[in-house]
Amino acid sequence: MGKKMLNFEEQCKIVNLLKSSSEQKSIEETLTEFFTNPKLRHFNVCYSLSLLLQDKMMLSSTERLVAFAILHRSYSSQKSAANPFISFLVNAACDEGAENYERAFILHLLGFGNSNSSKEFLKQSASEYIKKFDPSSQTFPQKEQLQKQYLEKAHPEPYACLLKSTAVKNVLADPDVPPGCDANSAEFDLEPGAKSKLGSGDRDEALSGLIANLSLEGLIPHWIRPLPPRFPVDEELVWLNPDNNHELQWDQGMCADTSRGAAVRDLIAKALRGPLAPNQQEQVLVELANDPKLVYHCGLTPRKLPELVESNPLIAVDVLIKLINSPEIAEYFTVLVNMDMSLHSMEVVNRLTTAVELPKEFVRTYITNCISSCENIKDKYMQNRLVRLVCVFLQSLIRNRIIDVRDLFIEVQAFCIEFSRIREAAGLFRLLKTLE
Amino acid sequence: MDLRDSSPSSTPNRDGNAGDDDGVLSVTSALAKDAALYFQSRKFAECVDVLNQLNSKKENDPKVLHNIAIAEFFRDGCSDPKKLLEVLNNVKRSEELALASGEQVESGSNIGNNITSGSKGSGTTTSLPASICASIIYADEFDSSVASLNIAVIWFYLHEYAKALSVLEHVYQNIEPIDETTALHICLLLLDVLLACRDASKSADVLNYMEKAFGVGNVSQGENGNTASQQSLNVVGKSSSDPNSSLISDVSCSDLAASVNASESPLSRTLSEDPLDEMFSTLDIGGQNLARHTGLTSANDLPKITVDRSISGVDLKLKLQLYKVRLLLLTRNVKLAKREVKHAMNIARGRDSSMALFLKAQLEYARGNHRKAIKLLMASSNRTDAAMSSMFNNNLGCIYYQLGKYHTSAVFFSKALSNCSSLQKEKPLKLLTFSQDKSLLITYNCGLQYLACGKPLLAAHCFQKASLVFYKRPLMWLRLAECCLMAVEKGLVKGSWAPSDRSEVRVSVIGKGRWRRLLIENGTTRNRHVDSVERDVWALGDDGQPKLSLPLARQCLYNALHLLNCSELSNSKSILPSDSSLEENELSDGASSKNSNYKNLPSNDSKASTMPAALINLNGDLKEPKGGTNQEGIQTFISYYEDICRRENQMIKQALLANLAYVELELENPLKALSAARALLELPGCSRIYVFLGHVYLAEALCLLNKPKEAAEHLSIYLSGESNIELPFGLEDCEQWRVKKHIDCEEANVGAAAAKNSSPEGLEDFMFLKPDEARGTLYANLAAVSAIQGDLERAHHFVTQALSLVPDSSEATMTAIYVDLMLGKSQEAVSKLKHCSHVRFLPSNQQFNKSS
Repeated sequence: MGKKMLNFEEQCKIVNLLKSSSEQKSIEETLTEFFTNPKLRHFNVCYSLSLLLQDKMMLSSTERLVAFAILHRSYSSQKSAANPFISFLVNAACDEGAENYERAFILHLLGFGNSNSSKEFLKQSASEYIKKFDPSSQTFPQKEQLQKQYLEKAHPEPYACLLKSTAVKNVLADPDVPPGCDANSAEFDLEPGAKSKLGSGDRDEALSGLIANLSLEGLIPHWIRPLPPRFPVDEELVWLNPDNNHELQWDQGMCADTSRGAAVRDLIAKALRGPLAPNQQEQVLVELANDPKLVYHCGLTPRKLPELVESNPLIAVDVLIKLINSPEIAEYFTVLVNMDMSLHSMEVVNRLTTAVELPKEFVRTYITNCISSCENIKDKYMQNRLVRLVCVFLQSLIRNRIIDVRDLFIEVQAFCIEFSRIREAAGLFRLLKTLE
Repeated sequence: MDLRDSSPSSTPNRDGNAGDDDGVLSVTSALAKDAALYFQSRKFAECVDVLNQLNSKKENDPKVLHNIAIAEFFRDGCSDPKKLLEVLNNVKRSEELALASGEQVESGSNIGNNITSGSKGSGTTTSLPASICASIIYADEFDSSVASLNIAVIWFYLHEYAKALSVLEHVYQNIEPIDETTALHICLLLLDVLLACRDASKSADVLNYMEKAFGVGNVSQGENGNTASQQSLNVVGKSSSDPNSSLISDVSCSDLAASVNASESPLSRTLSEDPLDEMFSTLDIGGQNLARHTGLTSANDLPKITVDRSISGVDLKLKLQLYKVRLLLLTRNVKLAKREVKHAMNIARGRDSSMALFLKAQLEYARGNHRKAIKLLMASSNRTDAAMSSMFNNNLGCIYYQLGKYHTSAVFFSKALSNCSSLQKEKPLKLLTFSQDKSLLITYNCGLQYLACGKPLLAAHCFQKASLVFYKRPLMWLRLAECCLMAVEKGLVKGSWAPSDRSEVRVSVIGKGRWRRLLIENGTTRNRHVDSVERDVWALGDDGQPKLSLPLARQCLYNALHLLNCSELSNSKSILPSDSSLEENELSDGASSKNSNYKNLPSNDSKASTMPAALINLNGDLKEPKGGTNQEGIQTFISYYEDICRRENQMIKQALLANLAYVELELENPLKALSAARALLELPGCSRIYVFLGHVYLAEALCLLNKPKEAAEHLSIYLSGESNIELPFGLEDCEQWRVKKHIDCEEANVGAAAAKNSSPEGLEDFMFLKPDEARGTLYANLAAVSAIQGDLERAHHFVTQALSLVPDSSEATMTAIYVDLMLGKSQEAVSKLKHCSHVRFLPSNQQFNKSS
């Protein structure tokens, strides 16, 4: 249900007001009486009256005058432009179709022309006003003139939703009279005591019904707002499958023997300091082979790798092969590639290349490091040694198809030419040529 | 293996530990063995007693505390998993602390001196099963992996998959050093968790790793008669072609021994005058060795050890096969799943095959062969078991839902729920009972079913219950919002109009005869919801449930959007690591999170991923299975799935934004509605239905914001020529929209069949405007906007069109009446009112007369 514009008290007030208009009470008196109630919601009352006034037939002439007076009086303490019904009043005053006395009355109310402050005309009753009205005494100004005078200083319209501000009155006349009859004719008015006939009706009943049901809201264009569709269900239903059982595990490590790892750990620690005796070396390799997880617990870290490589290259190879799947292997490779070139490091790398697939980038970088080490060495004898080593190493890599020569062709060729005096370099160069 | 079998109690002597410690060590290790034996024979009270003795000797040893907690948990009937979690977390923390500080906890040794070394349990030690004796502890190790595993197990059983996952991922990062038994358990649990989180790509990684690390390929080959699977396993076989693992180690051993010998001389003589010759020889040996080494390429693979099999080889094989099927079902790879499930059934022959049967039924369900799915479910054995029958009933409920028989499905869902509640009453509690309690999952299904039956209050109740598990799923929040909207629509919410009020024009008839007046009642807007806005969106009703309302709907939609955006963010995280400020990883519980964490895992690079290779091999028509394409293979299959997920998320997002725009309009927030509708229209690949809704909502919002011109522009995109409106979407859009997901990418035939099967049902509950009605809606709204702009002629034209398409629309009728009144045709307005079927004429209430 829409909100009713008027509460019960206000409805009574209006009905009584309209009734009293026909009495011989002065308009002023009626107004004063009407405004005695401080709780009256002026706007709602005025708006209702304006709606009733728009229905040209609903109110009698005296009632109309009183209603207009109320519209004016409700906001008379403010400037006329602040009256929300001022344009309604001005329009009514200019309505050519309206009775002249009504238009004149409104002009009086507005204080148009000379009768500035005289409220004399309100001292008579509405019916007296109509009776005494002299059409010749009143000139009717142009609408523009009135608008200029009363609306000019009006505030810009406050924000209102267009949808709503375009509303039209939601009351429609639907006279229920026999076809062909004039609905306006008084013949259909209900005579007191007379038998009601088709098309007749009681004005008071309609009026009070209207007053009781008026709402603030007018009729506006309606927007269709479709409800979004429900999202489709397809993969959403939960299908259940039997669970896998996951038992809580007993920690077998509790108070377990810690000695076995210790032996290898000791040996690895020793192996960092110097070459192990052959039987020790074999023990390490065998134990590492027997327990694939031992390698992770033997105490080796990437930082310690260079020492192991220099002292026990074979153990280093074995450990690295076993660590190949460890997340740390990249770190080990980084250390290996950055350590000083030596026979042992080369041996380790060479053996690794045959055992596991090394990252290409690692092999490349290692070779580049080898070559630059050869170039940078000062001691001629040591240089010769290292160059021969590198050459043999590279030949081995090439023969075993560990590296693709094309990746390093220019670099290696330049190296061979630079050290062409050395027999192995020449041999490597020949090998390169055969591959071309 | 000899070393393993030697009983640990004797080792201290052999390794010559300090004599002082001997006594203590043997006492504690004897006690430890006793405890382990009691634990194995499930005598938990005795076990706790022994452990307490142990604890008095080795105070605060985390492993002792750990085992005490586990044993007590079982002794107390698995009643308090949260407490166990607390203890385990403490244990884990102290082990990690100890590891970090590198100190060796030998606190027991001094105390031990004072205790007589006679151990009660020493007699039993020799007879310990190998699985217990075989454990080796490394002195440097304060290994928290078992504690972590157990923590994850508990989270898993409590359905807290995200928490389980974060624990397991951490352990899995460094799984290599962990002993095989624990590692195997970790991997199996991780797989279950990942599948529960619907993370396909990580699941594939782990599965792949497991096939290599646990040598499943070996096991399968021996027993494999089936040619198809033979073929599928070729790739696996190649990498592990050695007859068995011990042989590998033998070979490598002897080889290494040989190389020790061979290299002995160069090593010893590196400093001699001319080492080159020798060096050449080593290098050459390396070269010659190459032939032998190639045989050893499996060294490149993970060492394969016959794990102490608490799980036998075939069982493990079956397990992995079933995981594979689950992964394929998850990724909706129906064709491959079909073959793999067949293989699984072969392996399962003679074993408990209920899991395989359920999976096969799920497969048929996914393919839309509902009758076959029912048959398979019926074939599954022990339905007397409460847990099994709850799953059985739930799945039947799913099938009947898809068949459109919502009431039958309701019966099965409620049966499933009552199975669950009888399960909870079973004593003594088992840990599995927690996870077997799937009542929340079933409750979610119930919610969907209630929603389908148009019972929003019951549905919301279900979703709210299920939210304990589903709170991270955007879809759950969308469903809750849908409940709110449906409740409002049906007038079940305080302050909302009854459904009849919403669609009707109410006209009061006032007065009689010549004085009769018609007063059109629902004058402006139908939204009265603003009045019912509650301060607290989650205000609880009398039943303790949040009251359904539009503000609640809005909140739910925002939640869903947030979750969706988070998962998108974490998706792009691998590309934009700088987004670390948004640490919402946790939120991306499922579907779409990328495997950024897994990048550095060894299993992910260089090595061949055998599992997907096998899959591709099977598929044959997908991609070349040879050589290095394996990685690509898994990539295509995962990215295909990720594509599906992305598309689904996009769909959800469209729905969310459309609903949000609608709700904001209902709540009279045109500005927010505007931005939601804009966002909807900006989504790439938006479906035509949602584009239509986006434009309609956007136009209304603009209109409410006094921008009728822009509003008209938005509606005019559907105009062809001056005044003719095209269909905003076709029937095929609705159909496609309903059925799309049944179509499998490579399963054109099956997909089409499924589409055929389900399209009639799909359309049946497709509760949305038909294309013509949508067209009528556009006409009506264009009429409204034209009327507001004062273009009454145009408005009249449009509204006439609208009324011919949607004659029942009260809104269009009202607009028509408005236009008539504005044009001064009050007679026509009255006659329109009288002819509209949705007008209710009410006698005016004469309360005033009575009382005056």
